[in-house]
Amino acid sequence: MSFERAKDHVLRRARERGVDAEVLATSTRELRLAASGGRVDEIGHANRGGVGVRVVADGRVGYASSEALDDASLDWMLDEAVENAALQPPRGAELPVGGPLGRSDLIGEGLSAAVEAKGAAVVALEGAIVADPRVDALFMARYAETETEAVLGSTRGVDGGYRNGYAMLMASPVMKQGDSVKQGWDVDVVKEYHQLDPTRTSQEILERVGRHLGASPLATGRYDTVFEPDVTAILLQLLLYSLSGKSVAEGKSRLAGRLGDRVASELITLVDDPTLPEGLASRPFDAEGTPARRTPLIEGGVLRSFLHNSDTARRTGQANTGHAQRSYASTLGVGPSNLVLEAGAGASLDDGVIVTDLMGVHAGANPITGDVSLQGLGLRVEGGATRPVENFALSFNLFELLERVNAVGDTLEWRPGGGGGMVAAPTLRVDALSFAGA
Amino acid sequence: MLNTATAESVLSAARRGGADFAELYVERWRRRTLRTIDGEVEEAVSAIEQGAGLRLFFGTDVVYAYTNDLADAALDELTQTLVRLRGTGGGVDAGGGGGLDLRRRTAAGVHAPRVAFEAQPRAWRLERLRELDAGARVDASVRQVEGRLLEWEQDVTVANSEGAWVDDRRVRTRCVAVVIASDGEQTQTGHFGPGLSLGLELFERHAPATIGEQAARQALVNLRARPAPAGTMPVVLGNGFGGVIFHEALGHLVETTSVARRASVLTDKLGEQIASPQVTYVDDGTTPHGWGSSEFDDEGMATERTVLIDRGVLTSYMVDRWGALKTGYARTGSGRRENYTYAPTSRMRNTFILPGDAEEPADLFAGIDLGLYAKSLGGGQVRPGSGEYNFAVKEGYMIRGGQVAEPVRGAMLVGKGPETIRLVDAVARDLATEPGMCGSMSGSIPTEVGQPHVRVSRIVVGGEA
Repeated sequence: MSFERAKDHVLRRARERGVDAEVLATSTRELRLAASGGRVDEIGHANRGGVGVRVVADGRVGYASSEALDDASLDWMLDEAVENAALQPPRGAELPVGGPLGRSDLIGEGLSAAVEAKGAAVVALEGAIVADPRVDALFMARYAETETEAVLGSTRGVDGGYRNGYAMLMASPVMKQGDSVKQGWDVDVVKEYHQLDPTRTSQEILERVGRHLGASPLATGRYDTVFEPDVTAILLQLLLYSLSGKSVAEGKSRLAGRLGDRVASELITLVDDPTLPEGLASRPFDAEGTPARRTPLIEGGVLRSFLHNSDTARRTGQANTGHAQRSYASTLGVGPSNLVLEAGAGASLDDGVIVTDLMGVHAGANPITGDVSLQGLGLRVEGGATRPVENFALSFNLFELLERVNAVGDTLEWRPGGGGGMVAAPTLRVDALSFAGA
Repeated sequence: MLNTATAESVLSAARRGGADFAELYVERWRRRTLRTIDGEVEEAVSAIEQGAGLRLFFGTDVVYAYTNDLADAALDELTQTLVRLRGTGGGVDAGGGGGLDLRRRTAAGVHAPRVAFEAQPRAWRLERLRELDAGARVDASVRQVEGRLLEWEQDVTVANSEGAWVDDRRVRTRCVAVVIASDGEQTQTGHFGPGLSLGLELFERHAPATIGEQAARQALVNLRARPAPAGTMPVVLGNGFGGVIFHEALGHLVETTSVARRASVLTDKLGEQIASPQVTYVDDGTTPHGWGSSEFDDEGMATERTVLIDRGVLTSYMVDRWGALKTGYARTGSGRRENYTYAPTSRMRNTFILPGDAEEPADLFAGIDLGLYAKSLGGGQVRPGSGEYNFAVKEGYMIRGGQVAEPVRGAMLVGKGPETIRLVDAVARDLATEPGMCGSMSGSIPTEVGQPHVRVSRIVVGGEA
């Protein structure tokens, strides 16, 4: 295939020139179908890929990329990367040594259903949602699938490739009951097309949005609190900032220097595991060819590791955990694969608030300090009954909150995480949390 | 990039599959980014981007697909996929054309660079950014200087089922300085970033040291500025980037992207007096070497100079192919997109208010007892339907007794574009334009905004009252 040929060509030229080079080629195929009025009304079919090279010479790093795979384009790319490296001040960089990693296919024929069937699925999803009389408008009903292929090689021995993908159904209805209007969304992400069920997804979406209709303001006060998996996933994405080796290397992580310390409740065990067979973000190796392995980050509340690539590991003097992340057009970064907060014994609530959604994470949460002040949506549980509540804000510090977790749910839900990763999250319970409401 | 037989095969297959119109867009970019902080290289990356976009019309329904596998088989498969998918949703029109007679037009090189991409090594570019850095060190309070050099070279081919074939080449260069100054108590930034459709001769028009110095000067003005007062007052908007208000809160309202969906308050207003008679507003894709210029648009139509508002009367919208189909207005060469991953929509090119009657900018300040001179504007937000906007003033001064007085910071301009344009009561003759990146449905594209000094009789200024 042409990516393999492109990779081999660039590595051969790099060896001829006597520079260390790493070549990453990725291609992504996407299909997006949106339905309205009982028909597929938006079709997106996309195929994008390219080759990126990272050159290391005299401790300097240079990058360049190309979406054209002809020899002239590839040679230009290598020349540019070498010249870009020469402009840098020396930073002590090195290209990691690696070995053969084989070729893996993690999805096989998982997405190979006919496009007509996929169109019918999204039309069915749209129909089932619109049929609910409480649905006032449907912003979006969509099927999307993504298939990625990656090939990696370097002059220092790395050589591997893999293919992965997933499919999803999602919708965002506006529901109305009396004067109460609520918009929400939900997404079902699966590894193989046949695991999707438009009827199930539509029921989940209608339930998730509809349960908030008729919400009343929540009175200011302290409540025992359960975070639904969606909210747990938001908190984990916030925590990732401090667990990133890049943040540690740049002096921006509040958890830096605390390896071996208790940083969370003993009920918290957080693992990044790229080897999970059911994991939607599984991969046999990272963007530098470091073989995948399970990395405990927090075990029983004790901080065990950060997420590192070879560069952040070298700069912090810690072990490389194989969390290099980049696309062909980007520079080296750090990112999770399947981030799993392990399930516990269950988290129930007799009197308190179930927080179902947090809004405005980008503006209302400071990832460096962990200070969070966000608007929430939820359900008030009281005297055996449950009613929707709104117009409240939660203020807490993420790190203090993690120490106060006193129960963890017994089932995990997968959610898209930041930076191409996936998050498996349970419910979390924290008592006597402060809410600002009416 | 594209051979005739492939184009014919794809376009004919689409027509046979029931499409009323088919368009194939192929492009190849070379991009370079060089970024320095305090004279050291922070980022140096180079990229080739290459891909094709296929757009099919079934009536006014549009389907779009893209790929950067340009092999014949891949393009054929893309076409078949689109045709089949369309079949799942609606009825397939069994019509469709036969052979195509593609008529080729090639750009004449109106905006071509004199100093080509390859003319200088990367080290030469770094030297220019170091000159920028040195130029910015005008005062001890200058703490950090960032320099950015962006070079884009884009080759575009558009072929469609009406037989049009267009080859265009667009080369753009931009140099940006961002300066942070601090006096120990506060920190302020200044920004200057000229860009044009040409090559490295940009530096002949804007010396690197001057670019740095201009950004530094703005940071220093803000350092000695006092908090702006709040209230409704006359406002003089600076020439050049002052025009961003009208770009955001007026220009976007006259794109058929919103007009055809009746999502703009200026829908169905052609021939009506919508602005002050002082205002003639033009969107010009032909300005030689303009940042937003090109010989052809991304739908293969020759660009043109479109008078949107003539002495206050709305005379034209900006119309792309889809917009023309939906509204019946003639296309204006305004179909644009960031790259092959987007279908084109109607977009601005170089948009500006023409020079007016006021002899000197100073004439605009005369007679203002208390007002605001918004010399340069920064980021803002606009609601596209209504044109409600708020913009931060990046460099502002009070106007007192008809004269420009002390600098102020933190001012926000709040209003509605369609109202503000009616309140323009004087326009000077010092038209200037500045480059920007405009984000919308079809991605982020280079556009120029501009105007002479413009006086608005009243705007709500939000400050630190």
